[in-house]
Amino acid sequence: MSDNQKPYIEVKDLVFRYADGTQALNNINLNIGQGEFIAFIGQNGSGKTTLSKCLNGLFKPSEGDILVDGLNSRTTPIAQMVRRVGYVFQNPDHQLFNSNCWDEIAYGPRNIELAEDEVKARVEEAAKVVGLPEDNFTEHPFFLTKGMRQRVAIASILALRPKVIIVDEPTTGQDSRQSLEIMDFLLSLNQERGHTIIVITHVMPIVARYARRVVAMGSGRILLDGPTDEVFAQTEELAKTYIEPPQITQLAQSVADLGFYPGTLTIDAMVEQYKKIAAKA
Amino acid sequence: MTSLIEIKDYTWRYLYTNQPALNNINLTLEEGLFLGVIGPNGSGKTTLAYSINGLIPGQYHGIKEGTVNVAGKEVEEYDKGALQQQVGVVFSDPEAQFTAMTVEDELVFGMENLGMSLAEIRERLEWVVSLTDLQPLLLKPPYEISGGQKQRVALAAVLAMTPKVMILDEPTSMLDPISRKRVFDVLAKLKKEQNNTIIVIEHSLENLIPLADRMAFMLNGELVLEDETRAFFSQIAMLMEKGIFPPDAMQFFHQLTLNQVYSGALPLTVEEATQSLRANLAQMAGGAK
Repeated sequence: MSDNQKPYIEVKDLVFRYADGTQALNNINLNIGQGEFIAFIGQNGSGKTTLSKCLNGLFKPSEGDILVDGLNSRTTPIAQMVRRVGYVFQNPDHQLFNSNCWDEIAYGPRNIELAEDEVKARVEEAAKVVGLPEDNFTEHPFFLTKGMRQRVAIASILALRPKVIIVDEPTTGQDSRQSLEIMDFLLSLNQERGHTIIVITHVMPIVARYARRVVAMGSGRILLDGPTDEVFAQTEELAKTYIEPPQITQLAQSVADLGFYPGTLTIDAMVEQYKKIAAKA
Repeated sequence: MTSLIEIKDYTWRYLYTNQPALNNINLTLEEGLFLGVIGPNGSGKTTLAYSINGLIPGQYHGIKEGTVNVAGKEVEEYDKGALQQQVGVVFSDPEAQFTAMTVEDELVFGMENLGMSLAEIRERLEWVVSLTDLQPLLLKPPYEISGGQKQRVALAAVLAMTPKVMILDEPTSMLDPISRKRVFDVLAKLKKEQNNTIIVIEHSLENLIPLADRMAFMLNGELVLEDETRAFFSQIAMLMEKGIFPPDAMQFFHQLTLNQVYSGALPLTVEEATQSLRANLAQMAGGAK
């Protein structure tokens, strides 16, 4: 995020406790600017999903405040919040419940009481963005592939035109090619349409390839927050979040004494460094 | 070693479908071997697993050609339930296999159904609990524990029945990297201590490769490649072209090979890659002098 820009989301001293008293988030401070591509990483149960649900107003802070587009999540109606921050569930089947794709995507816009012609325009736009063919509009979502159901789930969020889209574990159960397709699609939303994308994921090669910033969580706290290469270079701190950097980063770190950069993120970058180091040898 | 599993000219077509789910499969697996199976979604990996433990043709309608032979008998020749004692399947969604109210009951359920004595059940329960580190969870309901714990319970429940062959269908799909490692640690122990024949279907290759003796690649219902692990990855260009992405370290060395600065075997782990890279750069320095 550039310094001269006011953050779109400001999280100040956030604490969140569930009704049974379990403290899920502890002293979270976080600024998120427009147009960022961020990965939330950390062990299962570290607070990633809870934080996301706080960001879109589904959960209200127990202490502290969350400002989105200047609006405090404590006092802003959820209908206003979801127009700004959309959350796509890990399992699209937990979110899809209508009997055809059209109604599924139209559900959000109808729920915030838009006029029906506006609803129609938004559904068509969202379907086009995610690449859902018109033939599928009348189809039951459960007859689509998981990748396609995920796109319907994302379309139903896009129809609310949120600035920020949080996608929880978008590549679970997907093979490598399908994973890259989904991530390339999220990248296009980020680069071509200016959406801020937050991805919650356990897949570090995906983080290395797509995220420009990493927020690493452990036990309800933010342990590391910074550019992807800098976060992955901090091996010891990272180990506390029970996360291992991608394999190429691990390799670079184990030969750092030969001149490789410990924050190397891609195979191509590793090859470039190899060429330079071998030429000097 | 004897062949525990022999699949010959095997084709399976589900009823009402045009394309066979598996097409002319030939595969032989020796006892005690660890086979990793990879391939895109829809390539037939799970259908192959079901064919080995008799769910196919037993529970599904379809047309079968060729033979699937387990421990010297064709799968159709086994009495109902007898094959499943030999071949255990751990499903990718652990909740799909849970039936009990506590983890302990879940682990005991299969053994009770096999009609084991109380003493034997007790002994095996103790063994499987220590192997999978489930002691602290025994009295908890299986639906209240974390995803990683669920997958370990699912594994332990099948393990308790001590099948000769264990098939795991994407056993770590929902797990964070540490929980994923713990599941593979259990598999490593099994391989070392129990001489189980293990078949693992997985998209995540980094943990799979160090354990796998052999690897199989499936695509569109066909077994495209099956070989000893290192020889298997010597086909890296074909695998990548078909949408399989080997671990970073291996891809990096593949690039070095294409750049004609490396000609050895591709490393299977980060440790191997580190050694090879150091040796390679030292050689470069030596050659330049």
